[in-house]
Amino acid sequence: MSKKTLMAGNIAIAEGAILAGCQAYFGYPITPQNEILEHMSKRMPEEGRVFVQTESELAAINMVYGAAAAGCRAMTSTSSPGFSLEQEGISYMSGAELPGVIVNVMRGGPGLGNIGGAQGDYFQSAKGGGHGDYRVINLAPASVQEMMDLTMLAFELADKYRNPVVVLADGFLGQAMEPVVMREPVTELPSKPWAITGALGRAKNIINSFEMDPVNFPPRVKLLLRKFKKMRRNEVRYEGLNLGDASLVIVAYGSASRSALTAMKMARQEGIPVGLLRPITLFPFPYEALSNLAQRINDFLVAELSSGQFIEDVKLAVGLDKRVALVNQYGGVPLLAEEILEAIEKMIKQPVGG
Amino acid sequence: MHEEIAVAGFGGQGVLFVGRLLAEASLLEGREVVWMPSYGAEKRGGTVWCNVTISDEKIGDLFITRPTAAIAMNPASLVKLEPAMKSGGLLVVNQSLVPSKVSREDIRVVYVPANDLATELGDDSVGNLVTLGALVTGCPVVSTSSIIAVMDNLLPKNQRRLEINKRALSKGCAWTQGN
Amino acid sequence: MTKFSISELDTVLYHRPESLEDYPFHFCPGCGHGIVFRLIAEIVDELNIKERAVCVACVGCSVNSYHYFNFDGLESAHGRAPAVATAIKRCHPHLVPFTYQGDGDLAAIGTAEIVHACARGENITTIFVNNAVYGMTGGQMAPTTLVGMYSTSTPGGRKPSLSGYPIRVCEMLSTLDGTAYVARVSVHNPAAVRKTKQAIKLAFRTQLANLGMSLVEVLSPCPVNWRLEPVKALEWLVKHMLPQYPLGEFKVIEAVAALKKGDRLCTKK
Repeated sequence: MSKKTLMAGNIAIAEGAILAGCQAYFGYPITPQNEILEHMSKRMPEEGRVFVQTESELAAINMVYGAAAAGCRAMTSTSSPGFSLEQEGISYMSGAELPGVIVNVMRGGPGLGNIGGAQGDYFQSAKGGGHGDYRVINLAPASVQEMMDLTMLAFELADKYRNPVVVLADGFLGQAMEPVVMREPVTELPSKPWAITGALGRAKNIINSFEMDPVNFPPRVKLLLRKFKKMRRNEVRYEGLNLGDASLVIVAYGSASRSALTAMKMARQEGIPVGLLRPITLFPFPYEALSNLAQRINDFLVAELSSGQFIEDVKLAVGLDKRVALVNQYGGVPLLAEEILEAIEKMIKQPVGG
Repeated sequence: MHEEIAVAGFGGQGVLFVGRLLAEASLLEGREVVWMPSYGAEKRGGTVWCNVTISDEKIGDLFITRPTAAIAMNPASLVKLEPAMKSGGLLVVNQSLVPSKVSREDIRVVYVPANDLATELGDDSVGNLVTLGALVTGCPVVSTSSIIAVMDNLLPKNQRRLEINKRALSKGCAWTQGN
Repeated sequence: MTKFSISELDTVLYHRPESLEDYPFHFCPGCGHGIVFRLIAEIVDELNIKERAVCVACVGCSVNSYHYFNFDGLESAHGRAPAVATAIKRCHPHLVPFTYQGDGDLAAIGTAEIVHACARGENITTIFVNNAVYGMTGGQMAPTTLVGMYSTSTPGGRKPSLSGYPIRVCEMLSTLDGTAYVARVSVHNPAAVRKTKQAIKLAFRTQLANLGMSLVEVLSPCPVNWRLEPVKALEWLVKHMLPQYPLGEFKVIEAVAALKKGDRLCTKK
């Protein structure tokens, strides 16, 4: 067995970024992700890499844009209100085809909300969030180990598609400590001949997302759409548990899926055959996996830390003829296993069509 | 095994550190573990809690609602913890700061004057280790030798601090054994 | 790129700088931007940094900057050029990134980014073109629009009671410890253009010597949005902008002064 280290989720993200070869980190303090900024302020200079505490999240995302344009693996981390500010920059990055990693350790909202964990940024994050026609791969960790692993994957996918990638975590996972197996550092980074590195021995490089003449822009968007299609085809990730004999499936991601796991075990102890489907990618969403499940399962229970956002994609996947119920908390309050269990019991007691 | 442990008290009483020691010791013993703190706006002296889930299986919920063992370092935490305790669970109460008694009869209770015992050792800040000793003796979720190994690892640079922590831990163990 | 054949002329006195593309400027007649672009290209040639220069374009009339220059360049979101340039310089210290920003971009939406790039003493260069209006969007009030001045969003002229006062960027930024060289110049006549070139060159040399943030504000005419003929616009600039925005150097740290002094000694030889 590999040696495990007890680590907080936020630290696992920071260390994952370093292992993935992140060359530049830019960030602005916001709870509940400050540990990432603080950890990076120490670790990045130790590794001889770039660290800047910025004047705002606007500056942070635009520094990620600049570092990415300069061919470097770059990252920023923030929490919900800061993520709103970063949407402009994320749109520019997608438009200019720049890779980069944005970590959003979600908290309660809207507005200033509070610093508890939440998943209220689902629409904003999984559907794009900024202006224009673009998509962003969203990776949703559900354990501290995944905080590390998916951060590393985010860098790989960002470079693979030349598009920003979001690691969508929540405040509870950021603060929780769990054992983590440290991964091997990435030693070979992809070459980026398109990057802004000085026009030495080559023609000049330009990075932009602008066309003066509108007729020249649709072809650019078409190129992007082709990439998003590829993501949908190749990058769907999810985990299924106890689906074989299940008559009811809980659908949940992130820390809500952790409570769902306990609720599933409790229900099975009571003799209710419950399964769990946990999307790991929110874009691309595992529509096909869910729609296949819906061919033999009629009851779906969506557990989320938002007021019915994630459930829309589940409904879209399973179809209108299925029962899809919601059990949730929002605004920074955790969803407990017991609450999910109650919802399961209620759902199976209610006759179909009742 | 599957244990859900809550530790609560004032900020500065070393609540999070006790939780951390429990979590690290469980990891050392090869178990699955989750350490989850309460967190709020930065404020000295506010109420702090953390929970530690220790299990032989993969752990689901990050939060616990029915502790199987708990430490109440101050009066406010006893008010919260007493009704939440799982029947048959062990509740360690810091008698130095909590004057009231537990009324539930379906749980085990250890009253330990943690701060007074720590003061006897010459450092009243190690009351948290006294309560930890009292807890793991009454409910052996981890061995004291694992806790000592973790402290050796976490506090190698401050030998004085390390020694007094160890003495506080064994004082807590002895208290539970003697009661 | 077209070049004159030496056989046709004894000496080439004037040609397109290597660093300037054969790409038509899209500026209106009488606009000052074209002059500034040419000056930057000449300076990049003279300092022999075409392989290291990076133009960080802003949003506004200079949005197409990277098409005009014959070296690496990129777009930045409105106001964020100093953040983008900061990252490029931090990641590749051998590169010579400069931002080319208008007054709306730098002094309104991007105020935080320029202030903090200056406060951090980023080793980058900013060319700040002040024409007292938002040009690209049709002549609305800019943070630099003069009191009483007409714009499409100050119909009766800018009233302080309603729209406040113009910002003097050089004066403000020169108070920050991270700035090494801050100067205001103008392109209203050939002598002023020559001084502009000297200032921009010194700004780039400040960066090449790793001395900290350098910023040159260039007063520039916008005849179309000022509703004036080009020559009248130049006269208007002298009469109205110079009193509000006095020309000169606002910050020259000792090390930059030494660079200048070294120049003079060299010229005397």
